[in-house]
Amino acid sequence: MAQFELLARCPTTRARVSRLTLAHGTTMLPTFMPVATQAAIKGLSPQQVESLGITLILNNTYHLNLRPGTKVLSEAGGAHKFQGWNRNLLTDSGGFQLVSLSKFTTITEEGALFSSPFTGEPTMLTPEESISIQHAIGGDIIMQLDDVVSSLTPDRARVEEAMERSVRWLDRCITHHESSGRKTTQNLFAIVQGGLDFELRERCLTQMIERKDKVAGFAIGGLSGGEEKDIFWRVIRQCAEKLPEDRPRYSMGVGFAEDLLVCVALGVDMADCVFPTRTARFGIALTRRGPVNLRLAKYAQDFMPIDSECPCPTCVEGMSRAMLHHIITRETSAAQGKSNVIFNRSAVHSFTAVTIHNITFQAQLMGGARDAILNGTFPTYLRTFFATYFEDVGYPEWCVNALRSVGVDLLDGSTVKIVSGSGAKWE
Amino acid sequence: MSLSSTMSFTVGSTARFGPRAGTVILLRAGISLSIDTPAPMVATSRGVIAHLGRDQYKRMPLQCISLPFESFLEASPPIPTLQPNSNNPLHTLLGFTPGHNALVLTLRDPSNSNETPANGNDYVSASTGRGMKKVTPAQWTEYAHACAPDLVVALPDIPWTPPPFSQKRVTKSIERTANWLAKLLAPTPLPLNVLVHMAGGISEPARRAFTDSLTETLYGKEAEAIHPHKCLDDGVVGYVFDLVPLGKAMEASADGARDEQENIVAFLRASLSSARTPKLRIVNSAESPHQILRLIRDVGVDVFDVKWAQDAAQFGVALDFVFPLPKPAAEGNKQRDLGHNLFHTQYAHDFSRFADFLPGCPCLACAPVGAREVILHSAIDAHTPDANGIPPYTRAYVHHLLHTHEMSSHSLLLMHNLAVLDAFFTGVRGVLQGGENFAAHVDRFAAAYDERLTVVHEARTMWKDVDLARGKGRLARERAAGESM
Repeated sequence: MAQFELLARCPTTRARVSRLTLAHGTTMLPTFMPVATQAAIKGLSPQQVESLGITLILNNTYHLNLRPGTKVLSEAGGAHKFQGWNRNLLTDSGGFQLVSLSKFTTITEEGALFSSPFTGEPTMLTPEESISIQHAIGGDIIMQLDDVVSSLTPDRARVEEAMERSVRWLDRCITHHESSGRKTTQNLFAIVQGGLDFELRERCLTQMIERKDKVAGFAIGGLSGGEEKDIFWRVIRQCAEKLPEDRPRYSMGVGFAEDLLVCVALGVDMADCVFPTRTARFGIALTRRGPVNLRLAKYAQDFMPIDSECPCPTCVEGMSRAMLHHIITRETSAAQGKSNVIFNRSAVHSFTAVTIHNITFQAQLMGGARDAILNGTFPTYLRTFFATYFEDVGYPEWCVNALRSVGVDLLDGSTVKIVSGSGAKWE
Repeated sequence: MSLSSTMSFTVGSTARFGPRAGTVILLRAGISLSIDTPAPMVATSRGVIAHLGRDQYKRMPLQCISLPFESFLEASPPIPTLQPNSNNPLHTLLGFTPGHNALVLTLRDPSNSNETPANGNDYVSASTGRGMKKVTPAQWTEYAHACAPDLVVALPDIPWTPPPFSQKRVTKSIERTANWLAKLLAPTPLPLNVLVHMAGGISEPARRAFTDSLTETLYGKEAEAIHPHKCLDDGVVGYVFDLVPLGKAMEASADGARDEQENIVAFLRASLSSARTPKLRIVNSAESPHQILRLIRDVGVDVFDVKWAQDAAQFGVALDFVFPLPKPAAEGNKQRDLGHNLFHTQYAHDFSRFADFLPGCPCLACAPVGAREVILHSAIDAHTPDANGIPPYTRAYVHHLLHTHEMSSHSLLLMHNLAVLDAFFTGVRGVLQGGENFAAHVDRFAAAYDERLTVVHEARTMWKDVDLARGKGRLARERAAGESM
């Protein structure tokens, strides 16, 4: 069973530093988990990922169940051995992808009924089946199957049904997991649902916390689906406040720098998102001053690295923005078609270089938060980050509100303006 | 100002034709790089080795790097000529290491067989991601000096219009190539290591005539233009042979008396018949280890690009062959494939390493090295290296990555394939240095392995299928298919 030790608390905010020890080593929290959907971080070897100081990654159950399938994974001795990753691994339940990727999914009390992408045959993913697949994958953290509804669903009855069903499915996951003999190496997390409705969230929290002794941690699900940021943070705060101190809290699908730091300030320990790796493939490098769009002509003769203070191999090697700009695929090139292979191939080099940088950026951001919390300087860390990142475009109002709720006022002594909406920075 | 480098080349055999082992020594600002030949040369695209990261460049046995310049013509001036603060601008921009990587600069990608507009009397048409660009010999000289590569190929006049070519066109090609070489050899305080592409196309007399024009002693203004050299040949350190244009021209000519391989040997020999040995001989776009071995045996070629093996990695093939064959070889009547098409479902449950015949393959896929240095992101982070070694990557894993369109598959395969090629060339040099019967080893190799590269062709088809099903533009294609249903 997972060992979870609290090491430090921020005296002002609800942020905390903890040590999570699982079957494949120790991960310091708060942390960001890069996503290796198909048992590979796109373009990188596990050794490269490890060298970036990453100790916990995510695999997607839905995808691995389709390919290579549980038979191959079992023969390999689990997903760790299959992909050569000897650090910690988390798998989701597969439920989210059923809803986001499949047009034909029907949720019943039994489970999620969908048409197989290979044969088109009706296939049922039950809570028990999800846990069995995750057992074959062998992740150190496994997630309950939940009934996922979009955070934008206006139908409160459906949200309520999904929340109540997620509690019932948690019980079935617990029962199946406990009878499997896997409890010593794999740790089950519950997922709090309830949409954007505080009353439903409250009921879900109460019921799931009652099962605390049977779960190793709690995730906050059903968010990051395009909802108003001002509601997003309030739901995170509500959940993080109520969830037990002695269990890790995992906010699903959160990856923007400002979102991560707000979540940490509200008491979140873990987060995952495809954003940093996916955006890398569009030529966007993440920096403390905001995203850098390497496709822009203004970088064509910029011989500086993405960030000269960044410790990632791409920046340390001094790979220039000009060179990255040169090798990022241009649509016009690919459209010519004649030698498309050549263009696709060299672009891979930039995907990989920027992916390395972006993963490191996320890890630096969270590592910096850990240090600041340990040193009692987390409010200053927040102020410095937001000032550096947003000074030219203005603070997102929701961030100001969220951090005020935990005692940090970004506007105190600041002249930076405030912007409404998500305020996410782009280039 | 960039520092230039000097090159010396010594070979063990003084015979004009025939297998030879040699050593290239490049001296660059006091840093020396020694390359034993025959040697492989790695192809690049847009200045990078696709599927390898810069951190991997340093951990691999990459020495010769072929660098087509044309993609950089998209920006004016080209960015390699603007690289600040470096004596090694090209190395710095591209992440290569002086003393470890020898960069061979060439205008055009020698593997690209696309038709291009005709060259002019004073320019070559180059292909960029933004259309065609004309490059003059004067510009090429300027770019070469600004980039300071280890070796630079003078602009050749290779026609890329559809063959066959008239005698007049071939003559023009010979004259232009010689003239443009002379321009690159113009007196300069920092001379370059210049290579020349051997002109003359598929006409042996024309090829001999070109070489004669190189070795002919020049007088008067012509001599002054290349001072202190007495003839063009004095100014060059080696000869380049591009096989793609030869292949295209042969296809278009009706001469069926000799097979293509015999023809290529004859063409190369014609170019070298009056050349002074020893100078470095480089062949671009050899298609198989069989062809490489024959060109070493029959001509004495020193450097080969290994684009075909890089392509094999792109298409999902893990190479698996050795030279020389071990004695006693596992004799059988059936020829072996040069590798494994890991797209094939037979590998879905195959947890063995990539190669059967290279049990000690040192590549980062067969012998992964755990992270030695790890970035620590906070004061309480710690790294405990794996006590147990990391097992080799398996065929089943790469099979999975190929079918899920994961880029890591090509990276693992490329590291492996380049290691197989490195071992292959090491084997070739070992046979040559040991004074063994090279030709006999070549025969055994040719008998043991399928030269048609069937496995690569199969993989290429499967790769295309997966690329269509899962690669870029997939959603648009699916939508179109859905609408037409």
